[in-house]
Amino acid sequence: MQLVRRGNAPAFEVIYERHSQAAFSLAYRMAGTRGVAEDVVQDAFLSIWRSGARYERTRGSVRTWVLGIVHHRAIDALRRSFVHERRRASDEGIEERLETGERTDVEAARHEEASTVRTALGHLPSEQSQVIELAYFGGFTHTEIAAMLDTPVGTVKGRMRLGLEKMRHALGTGQVSLG
Amino acid sequence: MRTPGPDHERWADAVGSYLLDALPPEERDGFASHLEACPVCRHDAEELGVAADALPLSVPLVPPPAALKDRIMSVVESEAELLAAAGRGADEPPRERASKRRGFLGGWLLRPGIALACAAVLLVAGGLAGSLLAGGDPEPRTVVAQTTAPGAEVRLEIRDEASTLVARGMPAPPGDRIYQVWIKRPGRDPEPTSVLWSTRDDGSAEVAVPGSLEGVEAVLVTDEPQGGSEAPTAAPVITAETA
Repeated sequence: MQLVRRGNAPAFEVIYERHSQAAFSLAYRMAGTRGVAEDVVQDAFLSIWRSGARYERTRGSVRTWVLGIVHHRAIDALRRSFVHERRRASDEGIEERLETGERTDVEAARHEEASTVRTALGHLPSEQSQVIELAYFGGFTHTEIAAMLDTPVGTVKGRMRLGLEKMRHALGTGQVSLG
Repeated sequence: MRTPGPDHERWADAVGSYLLDALPPEERDGFASHLEACPVCRHDAEELGVAADALPLSVPLVPPPAALKDRIMSVVESEAELLAAAGRGADEPPRERASKRRGFLGGWLLRPGIALACAAVLLVAGGLAGSLLAGGDPEPRTVVAQTTAPGAEVRLEIRDEASTLVARGMPAPPGDRIYQVWIKRPGRDPEPTSVLWSTRDDGSAEVAVPGSLEGVEAVLVTDEPQGGSEAPTAAPVITAETA
């Protein structure tokens, strides 16, 4: 990252090669279309190229940092888009999109850690995994989720927290490498 | 034993929402401020952040298209060249540079994006100096550009190989967007250039337009996402007709 910060293009290319697949996969999962996912990843990596100095090693791995930027950019794109408005109006549409996202990638390689995290997520009570998926992958705020599910905001926030606590426990220290 | 920060009761149940990026915009800053002041919430965020950080790893892997890398690296390499041309210090924080160059470029060399604009400016300066030293024609042909920015004045100074857009009173691009220069030839869509720029604090800018403008109908400027675009995503804010 030191070299990237100094404007070294080959060093940036190494970062791209190392993290672009995870970045594109996350963006595709969230956006649901390859075109939007490409825009999100391009936007995110050019932001990284121009702001490499903002990476702080003490606050996590480069991958976590990169994926965090991709996630923010994807949420921005979702919240700006007509697609998000349409999905917001239909709870069924959301469920369909989330399920479709799973099915369209059957040919993709599956990493062991992905399986571990998916298992942890899958073992959550459905009302907790639902709010986590809607928030993290759907880009909805807790207020929007509460309205969709006709559930008090406090309940939604509580389910998010409980779900994350259980995931944290299920993953355990060191079982899933984030580096 | 951690002592809760101010307003802990109000924010205590928002940690999960914060980690999932699900706080409504109007609450985000408030929670971020609370987090800085509350050891309890900070501890919770660190603990639960492990789970939130793992979520993207649950996604099935999908390879990105090769063309995406080509597009990104094209921008990166062109910007790296501009930065190199501007010198190693171009992307240093302004405070460090102020003592060295106070009164010239001032404090606006804050971000690489701005540094790139500066690089374009320096290239203009270099090109002009070279032209003068070589005894070439320093007198440009100047056309007044149309701009949608109220109160702004923009002109295009056309030279054989190094034309320049000169802006005064131009607002900075909106949000985190950046201005991009386009070349428009008759009967064809605007062609992207790698020239991305912003304005100085006083609304001024001098922007190099690469190459000869022979056969070019107009030079356009739009505001685009960081990194620029392959095709304009917004209407031109500057239109400089070369004829």
